[in-house]
Amino acid sequence: MPDLIEIAKGLLESKEVSFIIGYTKDRFGRVKPYIAKSVEDANNLMFDHHSIHNLAVYLTRLKIPENGRVGIVAKSCDIKAIIALIQENQIKREQVYIIGMNCSGVVTHSTDEWKKENIQIKCKYCADKAPMLYDAVAGTAEPFEQPDDTQEVLMQKLETMSSAERWDFWAKEFEKCIKCYACRQVCPMCYCEQCLAEKNQPQWITTSPTPAGNFSWNIIKAFHMAGRCVGCHECERACPMGIPLTLLTRKMGMVAGKEFNYRHGMAIDQPTLVGSYNFNDNEDFIK
Amino acid sequence: MKIGVFVCYCGENIGRTVDCAAVAKELSAYPGVAHAEAYKYMCSDPGQNLIKQAIKEKNLDAVVVGSCSPHMHEKTFRKACASAGVNPYMVEIANLREHCSWIHDDIPSATAKAIDLVRIAVEKVKYNEPLQTIQVPVTKRALVIGGGIAGIQSALDIANAGFPVVLVEKEPSIGGHMSQLSETFPTLDCSQCILTPRMVEVYQHSNITLLTYSEVEKVEGFIGNFKVTVRKKARSVKDEVCTGCGLCVQNCPIKKKAQSEFDESLTTRPAIYVPFPQAVPNIPVIDRSVCTYYKTGKCQMCKKVCGREAIDFEQQDTFLTFDIGAIIAATGYKLYKIDKKPEGHIYKGYGEYGYGELKDVIDGLQFERIASASGPTSGEILRPSDKKEPKKVVFVQCVGSRDESKGFSYCSKICCMYTAKHAMLYKHKVHDGEAYVFYMDIRSNGKGYDEFVRRAIEEDGVKYIRGRVSKIYEENGKYIVKGEDTIAGVRMEIDADMVVLATAMIPQPENSKVAQLLGIPYDKHGFMQEVHPKLRPVETSTGGIFLAGACHSPRDIPESVAMASAAAAKAMVLFGSDILEREPVVAKVEASTCAGCFYCQKVCAYSAIERKEIRDRQGNLIKVVAYVNAGLCQGCGTCNATCPSKSVELIGFRDEQIFAEIQSLSGF
Repeated sequence: MPDLIEIAKGLLESKEVSFIIGYTKDRFGRVKPYIAKSVEDANNLMFDHHSIHNLAVYLTRLKIPENGRVGIVAKSCDIKAIIALIQENQIKREQVYIIGMNCSGVVTHSTDEWKKENIQIKCKYCADKAPMLYDAVAGTAEPFEQPDDTQEVLMQKLETMSSAERWDFWAKEFEKCIKCYACRQVCPMCYCEQCLAEKNQPQWITTSPTPAGNFSWNIIKAFHMAGRCVGCHECERACPMGIPLTLLTRKMGMVAGKEFNYRHGMAIDQPTLVGSYNFNDNEDFIK
Repeated sequence: MKIGVFVCYCGENIGRTVDCAAVAKELSAYPGVAHAEAYKYMCSDPGQNLIKQAIKEKNLDAVVVGSCSPHMHEKTFRKACASAGVNPYMVEIANLREHCSWIHDDIPSATAKAIDLVRIAVEKVKYNEPLQTIQVPVTKRALVIGGGIAGIQSALDIANAGFPVVLVEKEPSIGGHMSQLSETFPTLDCSQCILTPRMVEVYQHSNITLLTYSEVEKVEGFIGNFKVTVRKKARSVKDEVCTGCGLCVQNCPIKKKAQSEFDESLTTRPAIYVPFPQAVPNIPVIDRSVCTYYKTGKCQMCKKVCGREAIDFEQQDTFLTFDIGAIIAATGYKLYKIDKKPEGHIYKGYGEYGYGELKDVIDGLQFERIASASGPTSGEILRPSDKKEPKKVVFVQCVGSRDESKGFSYCSKICCMYTAKHAMLYKHKVHDGEAYVFYMDIRSNGKGYDEFVRRAIEEDGVKYIRGRVSKIYEENGKYIVKGEDTIAGVRMEIDADMVVLATAMIPQPENSKVAQLLGIPYDKHGFMQEVHPKLRPVETSTGGIFLAGACHSPRDIPESVAMASAAAAKAMVLFGSDILEREPVVAKVEASTCAGCFYCQKVCAYSAIERKEIRDRQGNLIKVVAYVNAGLCQGCGTCNATCPSKSVELIGFRDEQIFAEIQSLSGF
């Protein structure tokens, strides 16, 4: 298996890509996103259990020129986001050189120790899955101890609740929201130039962190993710208040899968769920 | 802003349950309202004058009328305000009739609701902006799809009015089903004798571009400005050099392999053929599926005998594009083939009648060919199996029609009449023969129609039996028709020599495909849908597209011709002016915030969303954004609802306006 740094050096040397979005370690040893612009920079690239960030978010933040091409280091969960961005016309396939990483799971927070309790739940469902769309593959995947799906337990509990109890549960969770919009900034699928939250004619979402505003923000954000969330769980990781945001997005994804047999970010030429109509769609939920 | 509020009693309609004077009084104190009054009939001349007078006296900027549904009188009030100098789009209607008085009976609560409805409209109108109608140019050229009698009539009418027409027919000749008919009810004149002069007129008309053996491939654009691509299928014969001498057809060695479409499979035709002698254009076509040359690479007999070198085995499909202003769909019908259950179809068919298995059980169009002077028997009534004259013929009506359990719910409309005609023609030609008709009801409502049926029964002695047929089977060389006479209350058994089934009319199988190309709705049977069954029967919900003939519903020749002329008139109304005015209620994209996800484009039912590149002065691409083609947009608002960043606004129903309405109601 070719080494990540070797691949990156080759790409930058031949000028096949203008830069590579990857990971590096800062002076405290913490893993952080990094943009390698030269062959020398490529030496700083790395990948391990702490490469948690979904770097696909940078593809829409950094404007890629019309005929330009950039490299990106991506885990298979990040690749889904790249595919979704192609599906949604945000980038073209030829604009990205995907260095797919054989990944053996990542921790929840960048400072977490590599042990079972700290492994992200999404990794449980992605274990040993090789990258599905790539231009080069690097790294080796090793088997690891599967984390417990504590979220599933919570989801089942929520299913059994009455709507009043569920309202109380979410009221309590959304009460914590400080409207920092970190969930939006980190989300690769939140690429709008002007977010609805910033629109004030009319004011769709109250800006101050009041219960009404917090509800409308979090619910609207969740609904905008319906059939679009790729399940990278970055929103929940970025949330400084610890709101279990992926409970909502995961539930929506499950509904999309059950009702329409759809998963976003699986194939670049697949029509999107909201943007397509199928005569055979199950319409039971409308009746 | 000074707003005038006008509350209409609508006689008793609103006044009975809503205290209109109280509504006006309440609103007169509402912020922004400069004038409020109630009147018995706002839509009447004195009512409109009240509005005009108030506009002038109080210098009003906007008007709210509390009245009936905007579908009824919005235009009336807009015009009244425009004549008094207020932009017509500064008028809002609060629907106090359908939404309030008609559905409530308690006066105080209905009055309170009416106040709310008017208040909401006042809040909305505060955010209204003066709008101008959208003007689009009109291409004065029509496309007619289908060259049957309906398409021919539409094309001739438009062409005779001086506008160019493109007539597209998928078969090698125009004429449609009418060219196959023997004689036509209720006058019994020869179908071809009255049709073929029209076909020739189409061919010779300087305003008509006739494209046979062609299909519409793509339709883009909008009312007055369609761009249509037509696929001209390869005939394998150069139409510009062929003289129609027919040598190729006579010399083709393949005589028996292909069933004649024109003779409804009662005869065969060569691989190179002209559908019928009077075909227009009289240019043969090679059926590549049976031609020996296309199978083995040998033969070329037609090429050898052709003195004009018109045969071109290598000919390819060609594509032609036309700028079109109006489109008339006249794709016609076919008969429900009951022998086979169509693949994946919900209809069960009539296997018990033996159609397709019993040789002398035929359908109406096959009987037309047998009775036709140009048919396989030269008009003699001879049954297909042994070419003997049948002495007893049973006609069965409503096979598939009016039978939801096995066929279709609708009435095919023409079968009562043509069955009477068939029985009559049979009796005229076979004097000692017996004709029986099994019927459910006789539906003969047309000029001279009932007299025609009476003539069949009373003068020609056709025996009508009210009842259904349960089974048809062969026994000792006879076809046993088992049925019931429900008037006499007895079971019947007739040993017939031939049976004619009046099978249901269904749309051409391509009907739904054509409807999808045109972006017009069609019903569950595949018939194209008009926009209003009574007042707009030939118009579709897509502007500039009209319907003619049996593609819309079962209809006979006079009705098809009348509808075709109506559709032509609608197209010519469009061509009557150079500029088309459209409502300005269309979507608009805010390019600065559009993220270019194009979800709007995917959900747009009218293909109105386009992609627009935004480049800087150096020509570098900044981004690609959505752009609304105002000519195509119908203002449905689906894009507006779909846009995640709310970069699409529906003019006249902008988010701010809707928010103002909701806020005034909820008090937030």
